[in-house]
Amino acid sequence: MADDVLLQLDRVGKTFRTGFWGRPVQAVREVSLTLHRGESVGYLGPNGSGKTTSIKCILSLIQPSSGAIRLFGKAPSDALARARVGYLPESPYFYDYLTPHEVLDYVGRLYGMDRGALKNRVPKLLDRLGLGKAMHRPLRGFSKGMLQRVGIAQSLLSDPDLLIYDEPLSGLDPIGRKEVRELMVDLRKEGKSLFFSSHVLTDIETLCDSVCILDRGVAVAQGRLSDLLLADRLESEAVLELAADAHDSAIAALTSVEGAVLCERAGAVVRVRVPTTRVPELTRRALEVQAQLRELAPRRDSLEELFMRKAVHVQDVGGEA
Amino acid sequence: MSTLTSNGGVKLRTEGVSRSLLRIFAVAGNTLREAGRNRLFYGLLGAAALLLVFSVLLSDLALLDQKARLVQDFGLFLIPLLDVASAVLLGALLLYKEIDRKTLYAILPKPIRRSEFLLGKLLGLCALLALQEAALALCWYGVLKLRGGGMTQPIGIALLLSYVEVVFVTSVALFFSALSRPVLSGVLTLGVFLIGRVSYVLADLLGAQKSVFSEVPAMHAVGRVLLTVVPDLSTFNVADEVLLGWDVPVHYVTAATLYGLSWSALFTVAALLVFERRDII
Repeated sequence: MADDVLLQLDRVGKTFRTGFWGRPVQAVREVSLTLHRGESVGYLGPNGSGKTTSIKCILSLIQPSSGAIRLFGKAPSDALARARVGYLPESPYFYDYLTPHEVLDYVGRLYGMDRGALKNRVPKLLDRLGLGKAMHRPLRGFSKGMLQRVGIAQSLLSDPDLLIYDEPLSGLDPIGRKEVRELMVDLRKEGKSLFFSSHVLTDIETLCDSVCILDRGVAVAQGRLSDLLLADRLESEAVLELAADAHDSAIAALTSVEGAVLCERAGAVVRVRVPTTRVPELTRRALEVQAQLRELAPRRDSLEELFMRKAVHVQDVGGEA
Repeated sequence: MSTLTSNGGVKLRTEGVSRSLLRIFAVAGNTLREAGRNRLFYGLLGAAALLLVFSVLLSDLALLDQKARLVQDFGLFLIPLLDVASAVLLGALLLYKEIDRKTLYAILPKPIRRSEFLLGKLLGLCALLALQEAALALCWYGVLKLRGGGMTQPIGIALLLSYVEVVFVTSVALFFSALSRPVLSGVLTLGVFLIGRVSYVLADLLGAQKSVFSEVPAMHAVGRVLLTVVPDLSTFNVADEVLLGWDVPVHYVTAATLYGLSWSALFTVAALLVFERRDII
């Protein structure tokens, strides 16, 4: 395995046995993905899609039923591989009788950090996360946002190469979300590789190079975000300024192109979407009705559209099955 | 020893026996700290100390030369009972609490082996129970002094062996808590303790000419299995020696301690094997 591959999942599956008769439930099915050094991968999916289950497999909290996982080229059960990972669990829970300083001190000792290094690093890290004044207060009085910061602080303590965050922005208020998002952007700039799950599409779009969309345990789409959003680029959008008179007849002429749809109209300016193959015909019509072409570009999917299309597709298939 | 250095220059030492021991001690220390910050623990300890003091009032009912004796018997009954009850209760909750509160999710992904975590929890709980027994013994000693009694060799040995028994019960509770939920773990641990306490009676019944355990083949088999999987906990009971004031031979104490620790090790290894394979859902 190349040194720059930090995480590799190869056809990973997890089946749980539930109920008295041990009915099998497939939480994750044959998920494969690769994360390279410096990359940021978003793990996207609705609730119950298998995101947390696969993250638990990556961190050896549960054993996959099939497939293989390599973390820094080693099995996740190898403590040495996990030493290079910083993990933030979904809704992080820590010992509420401890203070943030004690949490980090405890975690540091599990990482084998020296007392001197901890004495130096812990206050700095807590200060960076805005917990400097609260570092000696027990966690039981902390808000969700403050606990999330403690969670992030403990994930950064060992200065890991790879950060695995499970829903890092869920349950935070808008200010908390903004702060955590900015922190994650900074961490990316520092060269950290990031693998994080979310069902909030804007977060993924802001923070990730690549995504893996999971639905009902199946990876329905994955790859570089820019490639995925342009992959189904079958349509183009044109912005046209119509001549001063006869707007309605001009619009009728433009939308008579096969597959053309009027998306927006603001006075004399219209936005028309057409299949890319029909762009020459649209421009010809525009000349005929003396409309000025202001803008013409291939239409880029939003992540939301991509997600809805892929997720709905799988649900349809599931429904038919 | 293997050392990792991050890009930021943070040094991590994860391999080696000494590092492994440090992680075990870190978990044990945290387990102790949890109890140390729990008011309920102090409440129970205070209530037990009050009960011991109460034995002074109780001893007023005894004949003149039996006052110290009553305090002594009461303490020898109460201290091991409280320690075993704590071992069953805390041992059964040991892993469940970590999973239920989801604190385990933040700890096990760190470079710590599950075996180290489990051993740390066991060590922490055993240390806590030792502190509890020591605190109660100290209180008891004070009360005993007040009634003209004192610490004798058999009493000291009785306390030591009761602690060995407590370590055994803790390891049994740990094993069951790695397998099942707290109520079932508690019931099963208590079952093992009770069977262990009366196993010498069971052995007698199996050898007797007329008993259900010797006459019914199925019951005979059940009795044999129970005697095989449960140790004889009466080994740790030196009440007769305390009563008669006889010294307990050192070789007996050594053998009983080794016997108890061997059984504890067996259940701990079984717990490790179960926990190592368990999915933390």
